[in-house]
Amino acid sequence: MNSITCSPPLPCVPLPFVILNISNISYRNFSGALPTCPKEKNENYPAKIVNKNVERSLDISTQLIKDLFKITATNSDGLPISVYTFIVPAAERKNLAFISARDENKKELKYTERLVDGNHQFIIAFPKSVSTEVFIIEAIYTKRLIPHPMEIPQSGKQLVRYEGNLYLFSPYETASQKVNVLLSSSNILSHTQVKPYNVASNKIKYGPYENIAAFTNQSLIIHYENERPFLTTTRLERVIEVSHWGNIAVKENIFMTHTGALLKGSFSRYEFQKDSRSGHAIKSYKTILPSSASDVYYRDTNGNISTSNMKIFRDYVELELRPRFPLFGGWKTQYTLGYNMPSFEYLYNSGDKYLLKMRLIDHIYNDMVIDEAEIKIILPEGVSNIELTTPYTVKRGPNELHYTYLDTVGRPVITLSCKNLVENHIANFNLKYTFSKITLLQEPLLVVAFFFIIFFIAIISLRLDFSINTTHSHKD
Amino acid sequence: MTLDTGSVIGSRSRISLTWEKQEHLIKLAVLILAAVLSFATRLFSVLRFESVIHEFDPYFNYRTTRFLAEQGFYKFHNWFDDRAWYPLGRIIGGTIYPGLMVTAAALYRLMWLLNITIEIRNVCVFLAPFFSSLTTLVTYALTKEIHSTGAGLVAAALISIVPGYISRSVAGSYDNEGIAIFCMLFTYYLWIKAVKSGAIFWSAMSALAYFYMVSSWGGYVFLINLIPLHVLALMITGRFSHRIYVAYSTLYCVGTILSMQISFVGFQPIQSSEHMLALGTFGLCQIHALVDYLRARLSKENFEILFKALVSTILTTVLIIGTVLTITGKVSPWTGRFYSLLDPSYAKNHIPIIASVSEHQPTSWSSFYFDLQILVFLFPAGLYLCFSKLTDSNIFIILYGVTSIYFAGVMVRLMLVLAPVMCVLSGIATSHLLSKYIKCIDAGSTKTVESRRQFKKLEQQSSGVKSEVAIGFVGIITFMLIIYTFHCTWVTSEAYSSPSIVLSARSHDGGRIIFDDFREAYYWLQMNTPEDARIMSWWDYGYQITAMANRTILVDNNTWNNTHISRVGQAMASSEEKAYEIMRELDVDYVLVIFGGLTGYSSDDINKFLWMVRIGGSTDRGAHIKERDYYAPNGEFRVDKDGSPTLLNCLMYKMCYYRFGQVYTEGGKPPGYDRVRAAEIGNKDFELDVLEEAYTTEHWLVRIYKVKDLRNRGV
Repeated sequence: MNSITCSPPLPCVPLPFVILNISNISYRNFSGALPTCPKEKNENYPAKIVNKNVERSLDISTQLIKDLFKITATNSDGLPISVYTFIVPAAERKNLAFISARDENKKELKYTERLVDGNHQFIIAFPKSVSTEVFIIEAIYTKRLIPHPMEIPQSGKQLVRYEGNLYLFSPYETASQKVNVLLSSSNILSHTQVKPYNVASNKIKYGPYENIAAFTNQSLIIHYENERPFLTTTRLERVIEVSHWGNIAVKENIFMTHTGALLKGSFSRYEFQKDSRSGHAIKSYKTILPSSASDVYYRDTNGNISTSNMKIFRDYVELELRPRFPLFGGWKTQYTLGYNMPSFEYLYNSGDKYLLKMRLIDHIYNDMVIDEAEIKIILPEGVSNIELTTPYTVKRGPNELHYTYLDTVGRPVITLSCKNLVENHIANFNLKYTFSKITLLQEPLLVVAFFFIIFFIAIISLRLDFSINTTHSHKD
Repeated sequence: MTLDTGSVIGSRSRISLTWEKQEHLIKLAVLILAAVLSFATRLFSVLRFESVIHEFDPYFNYRTTRFLAEQGFYKFHNWFDDRAWYPLGRIIGGTIYPGLMVTAAALYRLMWLLNITIEIRNVCVFLAPFFSSLTTLVTYALTKEIHSTGAGLVAAALISIVPGYISRSVAGSYDNEGIAIFCMLFTYYLWIKAVKSGAIFWSAMSALAYFYMVSSWGGYVFLINLIPLHVLALMITGRFSHRIYVAYSTLYCVGTILSMQISFVGFQPIQSSEHMLALGTFGLCQIHALVDYLRARLSKENFEILFKALVSTILTTVLIIGTVLTITGKVSPWTGRFYSLLDPSYAKNHIPIIASVSEHQPTSWSSFYFDLQILVFLFPAGLYLCFSKLTDSNIFIILYGVTSIYFAGVMVRLMLVLAPVMCVLSGIATSHLLSKYIKCIDAGSTKTVESRRQFKKLEQQSSGVKSEVAIGFVGIITFMLIIYTFHCTWVTSEAYSSPSIVLSARSHDGGRIIFDDFREAYYWLQMNTPEDARIMSWWDYGYQITAMANRTILVDNNTWNNTHISRVGQAMASSEEKAYEIMRELDVDYVLVIFGGLTGYSSDDINKFLWMVRIGGSTDRGAHIKERDYYAPNGEFRVDKDGSPTLLNCLMYKMCYYRFGQVYTEGGKPPGYDRVRAAEIGNKDFELDVLEEAYTTEHWLVRIYKVKDLRNRGV
């Protein structure tokens, strides 16, 4: 990390480094001041680095945009490269759900983010400095595929438009670049034609393009058919309740919207049943649960939703969930999914120290998009020294208290919230806390004491004679 | 010597104590088992389906309870519901019996106070079984007061599984009756206590129980007529005493004042004719007491003169006041439902909306046996036993039995009121017979008789009845009771445990198919229509739509506004253009119909359609709708080619059968074959002009249409 702050002489203020903070509010104050700094651009992007080869594969076959860059960068003056800047334009930043950088051996590279000239810079640091680095940047965007037309009838096909940059938008010169676009179908209405290119069924190959100057903007527009589900989880409320009696209960409250092309006109059940190929309607989807999940329930405010199937595999449990009604564009639904898991798989301890290691969010459906998630972790009563580490930055709310069966002082609840999540965010959090085992006995003792008191009162009131005249049997 | 006698007394008392204890133990065991059984036997639907609210009215109760639990009592009391009866709305707080909701919400709050985090829905689902357990205990107490402990135990065991009561109190059937039967029997129990003791304490308690009863069910009217009837009967039979005077005066005064606190009841207890018997009896009590007082003070001649004068003055005053009040309208005319109690054909001739409800139909003979089984035969025996040994409390139970059997015959729903008294009287009969004959068995086996006197007594009892006969008799009774338990369980599981919101059927391979279309449709409405959308449907589904879809509806199961319902009926029965006018007038956004033609669900809207026509045509604005227009020339109600053109082109028909003409429902039948009516529909190819299909559920059970906007000018 030191190398980052040292090598490019920072112009004004050393900016705070935040690991993929979703909000960029903290930078707002600086953005106005930055352009005034002289020779800003040159100093920020040392011209010595050249993208020798860029292989971009753009996967727009689902509702997500999966943008993968394999970059071979060299330093033209032979010095080792310590940092590399990857740019995301401000307009796309809000759609960027996930970004990661890896080296050839798939080892995670660290990066920091900052805002310069309205562009978001992701400054990637290389641990060992050599003059030629090969690395992979993966960026996943949500909601950038816009249905076009916006409304389609029930039997219509869902067409979407992709708009973006054909080249890697880079502060460095690019010597050679290839772009492979993967689509969901071979039905392509139109696409940007920058020669050389080649269309083969559901793939478009662009390039190779030679010698592209830094900051070159070449728009890429593809209008094509995409029948994959455009399903957005607008809100996820996930509650993890840890019991030291051996159970972890997970409850997810999920709000969903079909965010593809809206349904125009009427819905005809007859057509829907006649035509088994439902097109853009979402009939069902699969949710993968941990292998030890049991007692699964799937319901909504009106009760159990009887249309679901559960298959148990060796490594996971697959739930095929069918919403009560097929989802067409613009239709919403909401449901609750819950299950239990044995705690020994996720809860580790040495003495009174415990470590809970669980997924912060879990799989809901393939290529999922979660607009906002609120996660609550309910710990047992009497837990102290809570220490939380999350795989990425999340907003932590104030701790709450939760009361349920036989509680006295309440269970501590850790609240977390985050926005714009995708499958790549499925990762473990670590939660350390102290809990003395004797506290476990509190609840059974409470029950015992309660019954003891009841029986004691019963015994006293039955055995002792409170009547005024005594029976002769008490005489001696 | 002293030591010796002491030990003898000690041992004897120990024996008597153990006997007492044994009896106590058996009593407790039987009661606990009966209470647990009555809870458990009502759980069929929860086990088979899920913890879900049943049918129609319970959904309204559930919704209001949720509101009460969330918003508190004052908001609930002042609740003006704009979700129902658009555009009129409904003042919920003033038009319901809040007892049920208050009970459930109080239980819910109490449990949350103890950190028992149970959902309000589950409280509602299990409230009725819980109260039926309490009913079992109260039945024991009541029968014990009237007859004996043994009879009480038998009655408790009988009531715990009697189908007539289970029909209204299975888990999920969250309705007023669920707790009202408990309240009613509890009031009776306290009333009997008050009559027996003449203590203000018991009659005041009885008044409190009566208040609870009033707050929970409109059927309290039965109670407030039965108790005065009892008092009257006691007066006529010359059993009137200070005890009854105290009991009734306290009950009437306190009970009436309390009952008037329920805003739905208001001033009815002193205005409506249904309550006049109670008021009159109260007056008569005072007179009777005064007369008794004077008779004791005056000489016979003077008393007779005074008596005649008093009687004539009072009768004329009462008559004059009564007529004046009736003419000026202070005493409200008797309501339709009450008339239909006295004259079963009244409703059919005058109020189609009452007649259209299936539970308001007269009871068939078979359903008596179905709901009560052996109780039907034991009931007269119990009545006989009560007559043979008349007491104040026996007279009460006789009156209760006789009146309720009449009412149960008039209206299916009132089987519920009959069931408890059937159990009480059958309990008395069974217990009496069993204790009589079991003694004979005992006499046959144990010959050791301590004293001569006892022997004589035994001989008298067993005279003419041999032990074998006794065994045979006891065997028959046992057999009947066992059959009764099997019958009750079978009826409960087969007839009364379907939630009717989820339907299930057997498929060809024996598997179970679930039709969850209602919830599918309601959830669709909740999720995918605007928050303020107004939905028109027949009134049956009103409560369910407001509770499950949370949308505004035009008419619901409350049926308080006949003309509004009639307007909806007119829309359903009219042609598309006419219906569009009505729907625009009523601001309808969506129309919902229930259609069973694909699955064979027979209680759908086409089968209810004639009622819509009748109700639609029963008001001035619907005068153009005539029932006979909807019959085929030969007078039948047909949906096929021979059906009347009015029917084949009305809105309801079109909504149900839209695009149905292309669907193959059964092998070997033409497309558009309606499986309920067993006919190929007569009008197949048509398009809807003013509506568009918004949603149809998986099995076509519920179809929702969107009302199109007015067309743009010039298009």
